Amino acid sequence: MTSIDVTQLTKEYGGRRAVDGLTFTVRPGKVTGFLGPNGAGKSTTMRLVLGLDRPTSGTATIGGRPYAEIDEPLRHVGALLDAQAAVGSRTGRDHLRILAATARIPARRVDDVLEQAGIASAADRRIKTYSLGMRQRLGIAAALLGDPEVVMLDEPSNGLDPEGIIWIRRHVRQLAAEGRAVLVSSHLMSETASFADHLVVLGKGRLLADTGMREFIEEWTTPRVRLRTTDDVRLSAVLAEKGFHPVADDDGRWTVEGARVEDIGPLTAEAGIPILELAGEEPSLEHAYLALTAGEAEYTAPRPTAAVQEV
Amino acid sequence: MSSFAPVLHSEWLKIRSVRSQCLALAAVLVSTTAFSVLMCATLSAEDTSEAGFDPVRASFFGLNFGQIAAICFGSLAVAGEYRNGAVLVSLTAVPRRGLFYTAKLTVVGLLALAVGLLTSATCFVLGQAALGDLGVGIGEPGALRSVVGCGVYLALITLFAAGLAAVLRSAPAVMGFLIPFLLMLSFVLGDVSEGGGWVDFLPDRAGQQILLQNPDGPLNPWTGTGVLVLWVAAALWVGGRRLMRRDA
Repeated sequence: MTSIDVTQLTKEYGGRRAVDGLTFTVRPGKVTGFLGPNGAGKSTTMRLVLGLDRPTSGTATIGGRPYAEIDEPLRHVGALLDAQAAVGSRTGRDHLRILAATARIPARRVDDVLEQAGIASAADRRIKTYSLGMRQRLGIAAALLGDPEVVMLDEPSNGLDPEGIIWIRRHVRQLAAEGRAVLVSSHLMSETASFADHLVVLGKGRLLADTGMREFIEEWTTPRVRLRTTDDVRLSAVLAEKGFHPVADDDGRWTVEGARVEDIGPLTAEAGIPILELAGEEPSLEHAYLALTAGEAEYTAPRPTAAVQEV
Repeated sequence: MSSFAPVLHSEWLKIRSVRSQCLALAAVLVSTTAFSVLMCATLSAEDTSEAGFDPVRASFFGLNFGQIAAICFGSLAVAGEYRNGAVLVSLTAVPRRGLFYTAKLTVVGLLALAVGLLTSATCFVLGQAALGDLGVGIGEPGALRSVVGCGVYLALITLFAAGLAAVLRSAPAVMGFLIPFLLMLSFVLGDVSEGGGWVDFLPDRAGQQILLQNPDGPLNPWTGTGVLVLWVAAALWVGGRRLMRRDA
């Protein structure tokens, strides 16, 4: 089984650190979501893994070897970096044939991936006539060409229509289920939440989190319960007694932070408080991510007060 | 290295699948032949009776036009990789950059040589026929050398453009530099500095010595081609360094 190992990876561009001491592993059989705002270093990291850029220090290996030392790499690693990276005057089929030839992949496989990516009908049109969504599909077809055990996709759903987004989500899950190591970058939380098992989160080139999706959400959010009753006075008294802090909302509901329905339901039943509505709020990846980056922003952002003092 | 053949195949498909590159290659044959035959067919008695008249050279007159097409082909084949960042995908498929560069230059160079030799043979046969009684056969001293030399010259000019394209990463930039440099510079300076000098060491001047029956400059056919080879090697070396050292 092949994994991607990034160790103390650093890349400087003109004194600015795009990637700063990054260490993480992308394991087979899982989809690893690669999260971070634009400019956090996700694409740079992928370029370093693929040997397109040279690291300032540190290493990135696939199955223990630097990418450039892999023979016929398309048979082992499939990557989509930039859907625009193609010669526009070529047809989609020729684009894939050229790539297939480098790794002696049979021409039949080109037809297969064109079919899989849903662009078989446009295969003989020039790439410059493709929409962004079609170019993304062509890029994904290219990544799948060699049936690789490692797949890296940079913002694959960029430009895809809703149908395409569902397709890519399913496909990514399936690739991991087949035992491949899959790294998918995105700056969209809900999308990442829909397919990732594991998360690697970057901020300003540094590793902010490398953890399972569930664990990440649990660590950075608190559960919450919303409920409605006919007896507001007793409800708040009973809950307060048990150490909860219910807050009344404008719409007549109560919100209890740090509680689960399993905590609140039995309590109110025991006290005989009539409940009209009781619902747990599932914390989202977005909440967790914002909580993480809020802490990080406080830590790294220049302090406005200091600036004022200087003046 | 075991993986050279697949990469060669891939580079061959790259050229075959882009219309502009095929057209540029076809234009080498068509324009060189057309202008050569036109020249041979329209020479006046005054021209042909001059002391230095060289019937073999006359049938390669169109080379000045054909080499523009060769420059276009060489620069498009390499610089095409840098439009829209297509080279990212190419280098992901072939991460050994030396292998990638060598394979591309091999395919570009061999294609240019094949088309160049076909061009020069066609020019010679049709040109000499157009000259009528003044025409010579391939047995004429220097004729075979000129025919082969013209093909080699076109291949070398193509590689020169390819090497510069690896440096400049833009086909228009290569054409904008090389076409005036090769055509106008030596044309203008050639008349100014009569009797040799550094002008004779310019790539086109040096490389075209091989076409002449009686070269009178400081370079003979073989040293002239050698000088052109040095120019080409320098361009390829700088282009190769840029590819190997820099981030893609």
